[in-house]
Amino acid sequence: MLVMNNINKIFQTENVQTHALRDFNLTVNEGDFVSVTGPSGSGKTTFLNIAGLLETYTNGEFKLDGIDVGALNDNGRSKMRNEKIGFVFQGFNLIPDLNLYDNVDVPLRYRGYNAAERKKRIEENLERVGLASRMKHLPSQLSGGQQQRVAIARALATSPRFLLADEPTGNLDSEMANGVMNLLEDINKQGTTIIMVTHDPELAQRATRKIQVRDGRVSELEAVVEKVSA
Amino acid sequence: MFNYYIKLAWLSILKHWGLSLLMISAIGLGIGATMTTVTVNYLMSSNPIPHKSEQLYFVQLDSWDVNDPFDDGENPPNQLTYTDSTNLMKAKKAFRQNVQAQAYAVIEPNDPEILPLIVNARANSADFFTMFDAPFLFGSGWSESADLGKEQVVVLSKETNERVFGGENSVGKTIKIDGNIFKVMGVLNTWQLKPRFYDVSTGAFDETEEIFVPFSLIAEEKVRRSGNTNCWKPSGDGFEAFLASECIWTQFWVELKTQQDKEEYMAFLNAYVEEQKGFGRFQRPTNNRLQTVTEWLEYNEVVADDAKMMMTMSFMFLLVCLLNTIGLLLAKFLGKAPEIGLRQALGASKSTLFYQYMIEAGCIGIAGGLLGLLLAYFGLMGIENLYGDYMKDLATLDINMMVLAIGLAIVSTLFAGIYPTWRACKVQPAHQLKSQ
Repeated sequence: MLVMNNINKIFQTENVQTHALRDFNLTVNEGDFVSVTGPSGSGKTTFLNIAGLLETYTNGEFKLDGIDVGALNDNGRSKMRNEKIGFVFQGFNLIPDLNLYDNVDVPLRYRGYNAAERKKRIEENLERVGLASRMKHLPSQLSGGQQQRVAIARALATSPRFLLADEPTGNLDSEMANGVMNLLEDINKQGTTIIMVTHDPELAQRATRKIQVRDGRVSELEAVVEKVSA
Repeated sequence: MFNYYIKLAWLSILKHWGLSLLMISAIGLGIGATMTTVTVNYLMSSNPIPHKSEQLYFVQLDSWDVNDPFDDGENPPNQLTYTDSTNLMKAKKAFRQNVQAQAYAVIEPNDPEILPLIVNARANSADFFTMFDAPFLFGSGWSESADLGKEQVVVLSKETNERVFGGENSVGKTIKIDGNIFKVMGVLNTWQLKPRFYDVSTGAFDETEEIFVPFSLIAEEKVRRSGNTNCWKPSGDGFEAFLASECIWTQFWVELKTQQDKEEYMAFLNAYVEEQKGFGRFQRPTNNRLQTVTEWLEYNEVVADDAKMMMTMSFMFLLVCLLNTIGLLLAKFLGKAPEIGLRQALGASKSTLFYQYMIEAGCIGIAGGLLGLLLAYFGLMGIENLYGDYMKDLATLDINMMVLAIGLAIVSTLFAGIYPTWRACKVQPAHQLKSQ
């Protein structure tokens, strides 16, 4: 379970103070597939970065699986990222010099698995995204959709509780995007909690729960729609 | 993880081969220049007889002109008169003692097919061979009685024995030196002290003499002396007058086992000088010295100032190379910011990444060290060609120097890698992941 209570994130430059998140409150339950939408600059990505422990927050309370994230040091945050969170980015973020096998291997190395366990997990997850036959290929030899599948395999390799996806289909055509979404839905059905930031309302509709971020605050989309109708 | 990091380092070096080559070249040049000068200094300043260097003492007495002191009065002369050397020998107050001088001779081989040889010689006492651990291939040195009896005996170097006797055991055979017949007592094995501490007056890095004969034969004019001679007043006419003069041309070494022995010997020297003052000699204040091998080499500045200066400059050059490497590493590692951000997202802590990139820096250091060794080898060859025999055997890399070269390269590169790695590990992963 992910719980954020009154989270604030303030970016401070020399002259300007920017509130990226204001009293941000959100609870994501086990097995949710949450889509996060909102206009550019609303704070969606900042929320995702804080949720993924990639960024710190200014104040508030954030608990991930009951652990107070604010009390963790760099090693603790790294360990938690490795064990509980998988990331899928818009730009795929594969390491170009490593083949697919070695790309999926990266988080497993940091987890400390032995060679046999790593091999098993890499092959299983590449099989899961339909790329087991191409594990010795370099990312540059794959299409965008295939690269995103590898990124998903890498994110799933450590069996994370949460999968955080930031515009996972943003760089893909509609056919490939649909394939990636189907894959995410399957993953969610198998129990992984997914939080997906997207600009695409159609993709957002495929999530089981939809939230919107505006001016650094969160609101359930259904509630917003109801308010507008009324 | 170590093997994994080595693999990543190798991939990174290959990917950025141009930048890596520049860094390896910078480190290699710095290490090459440094190791060339360090090797020369190391061999120049090495202790040639470590197990007894603190028991062997060079004797100095100040018999110089009262009105014009030697070395402006700071130090006593660096050689002794024949009178003083022979008096100290006769007194026989040390555990072992050796009076010596440089000499030269012409050997007329028994085989008429072999042309006469002009050889460098050393005229010394019987104790010389034992005191300085001279290694014998055949036979041994001569006895004290041979010194006293002024016997015409000789010890040959291995090379001389090969040239005159074809390398066979020549002990007991005779050899004609300067028209006189000498009996061969022993043949030395290969022996090249670096520095040749027992006589630095004519060059601390000269080759070992080709023959050794009793010092007592100089007075008999059976052996011709050479080397440095300094006089502060006219020596008079004739060789006997020269021997009795105040000219200094002999060196005197003693072996003293304990500190007490040293103190007693110093007391003896002081008493000797006081006695000589009674004969009108030693008009200057008493200034006797006993210097150990290491003190004696330092006193004579065997490691030349220009060699030290070159070494200092080479370390400064290495520093410049390291500064360049820091810049290049910074460019390389900051270029990896997106990958560093990604690795952080996948679970790498900053300390893990620091370790990974320091290993990459270390790999560059090892490659730079190997290149540096190669350059040092060529550098030393160049020095040997430039300076000739003076640098022979000094311009060689031994295992200690090789280990030092690699170690210095690794430590230097790790040092150079600290700041770039620290900077790289400070990247904000969120910014890097979004910007890809």
